[in-house]
Amino acid sequence: MTAVRAILFVPELALVLAMPPMLMSVIAKTKAWFGGRVGPPWLQPYYDLHKLIQKHAVYSKTTTWVFRAGPIVSLAALLTAATLIPVLSNESLMGFSGDVILLAYLLALGRMFTVLAAMDTGSSFEGMGASREVTFGAMSEPALFLAFVVMAVATKSLQLSEMIGPGLLLEWRIAGPAMILVAGALFVVLLTETCRVPVDDPATHLELTMIHEVMVLDHSGPEFAFITYGIALKFTLLGSILIHAAIPHSQEIGLFGSTLRIAELGVLAVLVGVVESATARLRLNRIPMFLAGATVLSAIAVVLVLMRRTG
Amino acid sequence: MTHVSLALAVLASGAAASLLAAKRRRTGLRIGMAAAGMAGVLCVLGGWNVLRGGETTRLAAEWPLALGGARLAVDGLSAWFLLVIGAVGVGASVYSWDYFDDADGYGPNGAYAPLFCTLIAAMVLVVCAADAVLFLVGWELMSVSAFFLVGFHDQDGEARRGAWTYLVATHLGTALGVVPVFAVFVARTGGTSIDGFRGAVGASEVAWCVVLFTLGVVGFGTKAGFMPFHVWLPAAHPVAPSPVSALMSGAVIKTGIYGLLRLVSWLPDLPAGCAVGLMIVSLVTGVMGILYALGQRQVKRMLAYSSVENIGIIGLAISVALLGRSLNRPELVAVGLGGALLHVLNHGLFKGLLFLSAGAVLHDTGTGDMERLGGLARRTPWNALAFLVGAVAICGLPPLNGFVSEFAIYTGILQGVVRLPNSYAALPASCAAALALIGGLALVAFSKTFSVMFLGARRDPSLTVHDTPPFMLAGMLILAAACVTGALGSGALVAAVSAALTPFAMEASGKTDTIAVALEPIGRLLRPLGVLIVVTIGLLVVRRRMAPGAAVGGAGGTWGCGYAFPARTMQYTGSSYGWKVMRCFRFVLRPLRRAPSLSTCFPMPGRLSTVTRDFAHERVYSPMFTWLARLFERLLPLQHGRIQLYLVYIVATVLIVFLVEGWTAPFSARPRNGAAMPGAAPSTGDDSIERGARGGMDQDG
Repeated sequence: MTAVRAILFVPELALVLAMPPMLMSVIAKTKAWFGGRVGPPWLQPYYDLHKLIQKHAVYSKTTTWVFRAGPIVSLAALLTAATLIPVLSNESLMGFSGDVILLAYLLALGRMFTVLAAMDTGSSFEGMGASREVTFGAMSEPALFLAFVVMAVATKSLQLSEMIGPGLLLEWRIAGPAMILVAGALFVVLLTETCRVPVDDPATHLELTMIHEVMVLDHSGPEFAFITYGIALKFTLLGSILIHAAIPHSQEIGLFGSTLRIAELGVLAVLVGVVESATARLRLNRIPMFLAGATVLSAIAVVLVLMRRTG
Repeated sequence: MTHVSLALAVLASGAAASLLAAKRRRTGLRIGMAAAGMAGVLCVLGGWNVLRGGETTRLAAEWPLALGGARLAVDGLSAWFLLVIGAVGVGASVYSWDYFDDADGYGPNGAYAPLFCTLIAAMVLVVCAADAVLFLVGWELMSVSAFFLVGFHDQDGEARRGAWTYLVATHLGTALGVVPVFAVFVARTGGTSIDGFRGAVGASEVAWCVVLFTLGVVGFGTKAGFMPFHVWLPAAHPVAPSPVSALMSGAVIKTGIYGLLRLVSWLPDLPAGCAVGLMIVSLVTGVMGILYALGQRQVKRMLAYSSVENIGIIGLAISVALLGRSLNRPELVAVGLGGALLHVLNHGLFKGLLFLSAGAVLHDTGTGDMERLGGLARRTPWNALAFLVGAVAICGLPPLNGFVSEFAIYTGILQGVVRLPNSYAALPASCAAALALIGGLALVAFSKTFSVMFLGARRDPSLTVHDTPPFMLAGMLILAAACVTGALGSGALVAAVSAALTPFAMEASGKTDTIAVALEPIGRLLRPLGVLIVVTIGLLVVRRRMAPGAAVGGAGGTWGCGYAFPARTMQYTGSSYGWKVMRCFRFVLRPLRRAPSLSTCFPMPGRLSTVTRDFAHERVYSPMFTWLARLFERLLPLQHGRIQLYLVYIVATVLIVFLVEGWTAPFSARPRNGAAMPGAAPSTGDDSIERGARGGMDQDG
C-alpha cells in the first residue's frame, strides 16, 4: 500500500470508529418506533460512553487481574480486526492473504477474554452466561468458515477485502442462490456474535435468560464503556462483511460508494431493529439448531458454488 | 551432527552418573536433570543448525549390531523433531529439578533421572536413526523407558494400570504396524539402511502402497494417538509424573507423526483414497478428542484428550498434503506439511507448558479434580499466567504460536478448496467446517479448565495451597517464552520449515520456490500480531489514565443478582459449563447423567452426576481384552506351580526344537548363507525378515 493510501485511511478509520454507537442508536430508535415510543436521543450511546469513562470502576474482591484484562483484550482484538475489514471502501488497512482466518480468531480471542472475565467473578449467573456464549460461539464458527469458503472459491482469494470485493459481482450474477444463502448465514452469525434477538435479547431484565448482558454484570466504569463500545464495533465490522458480501460495489464509485455504505449499514441496523421488534427470542435449547441451520445454509452454498465451477 | 552425538553422550553419562549417585537421591536427580537439560539445549542447537544449513549430516559408527548398523543421519525432518524434543526436554528437566520436593515423594529408588535421560536419548535415536534396526531399537527403548516413567508412582493402582495400558497399546502398534512396515522395506531393498528405502516401492505397485500406508497409520498412529488407537493416552498421561506427561504429550507422541511422515517420504504418490481415509480418521480424532476433553474432571486427563484432538489437527494437515501430492499440487503439499510440522512444534511447546502447569496445580493443592479447585490465580498467580498462556496458545488464538500453525493449516485447507478439482474440493471444505468446530470447542474446553481451576473463589475450603517452587516456574517460563517466540519469530520458523520439508519428494518443478511461495503468508503474520499487541498495550495505557477502580464487597463480593448471601459453592461448576455442548453432542458422546427426579411435594436431597465414558474403551477394547483374558484362562491348567513339571516343559521344548531342526534342516538347505545365520532367527517366520537379516549381515561383514 502506498503512503498516500495510508494517509487517506486515517479519516476513513476515524469515521469507522466513530460510527458504531450511532448504529446502536438506529436500532434503539427502530425498536422505539415499533413500540410507539419516541426513544432515547440519537446521541444517547455517546453520552453513556462519556459518562462511563469518567466513573470509577468497582471490582469485586473475588476478581483478579484477569477480570480487568478481559475488556481491554477484547476491545484490542476488535480494533485489530477493524484494520482487516473493508468498511467504507473496498480496501482494508492491513489486509493480507489469509486475513479471514486471523479475523475469525480475533473474534474468538475477544470471546475468550470476555468469558474469562465473567468466570473470574465467581457468580453462577455469569458462569451461566459464559457457558452459553462459548457454546453458541463454537456452533456459529463452522457457518462463518463455510461462508468464507464460498467467497474464497468465488473470488479465488484468501484476502477478505478481495473476497467481499467487486469480484463477487460476477458471482451474484451466475450463482445468485448460493450468495443469498451465504448472506443468510452471515446474518445469523451477525445476530449471534452481537447478541441480538433471536439468540440473545439485550433488553431482557431476567438474568436467567441473558447471555451477553449477564456476563458483564459486574463490569463498571471505563471497563463497561470498553465493553459497550466493543459490542457496537463488532456489530459494525460484522455488518460490513455482510453488506459487502450481499451488495458488492464495483471498483469505480469511490466517495459515493462510501456514502452508500454508511446508508447500507444504517439500513442493516434498521433491519436488526425490525427483527428484534417482530420476533421473540428462541428458547435456549433451540439456539443450537438455529446455528446448525446457518451452517447448513453455508454448506449448501458451498455445494452450489462448487457445482457452478464445473459448468 | 556433533551436537546430536554430544547430546547422546551427555545423556548417557548423565544417566550413568545419576545411577552411581543413586544413594544420594537428590544429587542423583539433579545430575540427571542437568544432563537432560544440556542435551535438550544441544538438540535444539543441532536441529536449528541443520535447518539453517539445510543439508543432511551423517554419522556412521562401526558398531555391528546383531543386524543392521549404527548409522545416524540428521536431515531437515529429523532436525525439526530434534527441535521439539529438545525444547520440551529442557522445560521438563528444569521443572523436574524441584518437582519431587515434598508432596510427591521421589519414590524408593533413584530410577527417575536415568529413565528420563534414556527416554530423551531414545527419542533422539528414533528421529536420527538411518538404519531400520537402530530405529526399532530406539523405538523400543522409548516405549520401555516411558513405561517405567509412567508407572513411576507404582504404589498407585491407577498408575500401574495406565502404564500397562500404554505398554500393551504401544507394543500392539509396533507389532502390527511398525515392524511389518520395516520388514517390507528391508525385504525389498535387501539392506537395513534407511537411505535405500525411498523408491523401494514403485509408483505402479498401488496395492503395496496402500497396505504400507495403512500399516503405518495403525503402527505409528497408535503412538501418536489417532482414534481409535488413542485409549492409552487418557490412561497413561494423568498418572505419570507431570514432567513425564509433558514429555510424553509434547514429544513422545510426535515420534508417531515422525514415523508416519518418514514413511510417506519413502512411498511414491499415494492414491487419493489414502488421503481421504486419513482425513476421515483425523476428523473423527479431532472432534471426538475435544468433545471427550470437555467431559473430563481431572485436568491431566482433559489435557490428554486434548492431545488426541491436536493429533487429529496434525493428521488433517498431513491428509491435505497427501491429497495435494496425489493430485500433483506441490503448493498444497508444502503448506499442508508445513502446517503439520509447525503444529507439531507448537503443540509440543504449549501442551508441555499446560502439563507442567497442571502438574504445579497438583503439586500445590494435592488434587487434579477441577471441581474442587478454584481461585488459584490469587494464590499462585504465576502458575495461573503460565496456564493462561498455554490455554490461549492451544486454542489457536493470536498472538501466540498456536495461531501461527492453525493459520498455516487453514491456509492449506482453503487453498485446497480453491485449487483442487471439483470432485475433491468438497473434502477440504468439510475439513474447514470441522476445524472451525474443533477450534470453537477447544475454546469451550480450555476456558472451562482455566476458569474453573484458577478463577472465582476456591470451591473446597479444606484444600491447603502451597507455593509453586521456583524451578518448576522456571521450567514453565522456558516453554511460555518459547510459545511467544514461536509466534513472533514465525518468519524464521517458516524458513526452517522449508528446510524441514526437503525429504519430501517434490519432484514437480521449482521445488524450493514452491515451498517458499506457499508458506510466505505465514511469515507476514508478524505485522498484524504486532498491531494486536501494540493496541492492547495502548488500551492499557489509556485505561491507566482514566479513573482508577476500587475493590469492594465482603466475603461474597460479586453482585449476586439480588441474592444477599452468595456462597462459594454456588459458583458455576465445570461440568455445568460444558454441559450445553455435551448436550448438543449427546448422540455421539452418550454421557451418563443421573439426575434426581422431583416426584414429591417435598423434594429430598439429591445427587446429580454426569460421566462421559470413552466409546472405544468401553465398547471395543474392554470387551475384546475381557474375551482374550477368558480365552487365555484356558491355559491356566498348564501353570501348576510345581518346579518339576516346569523342568519337563523346558526339556520338551528343547527336544521339539531339535526335532524340528533335524526334520526341516532350514539352514543347511541354503548353502550360501547357512553359516552366517544365527540360530535365533525365526525358522518358520516371514521370509522377508530373513532376507532382510541377511542383507544386514552382508553390509556389516
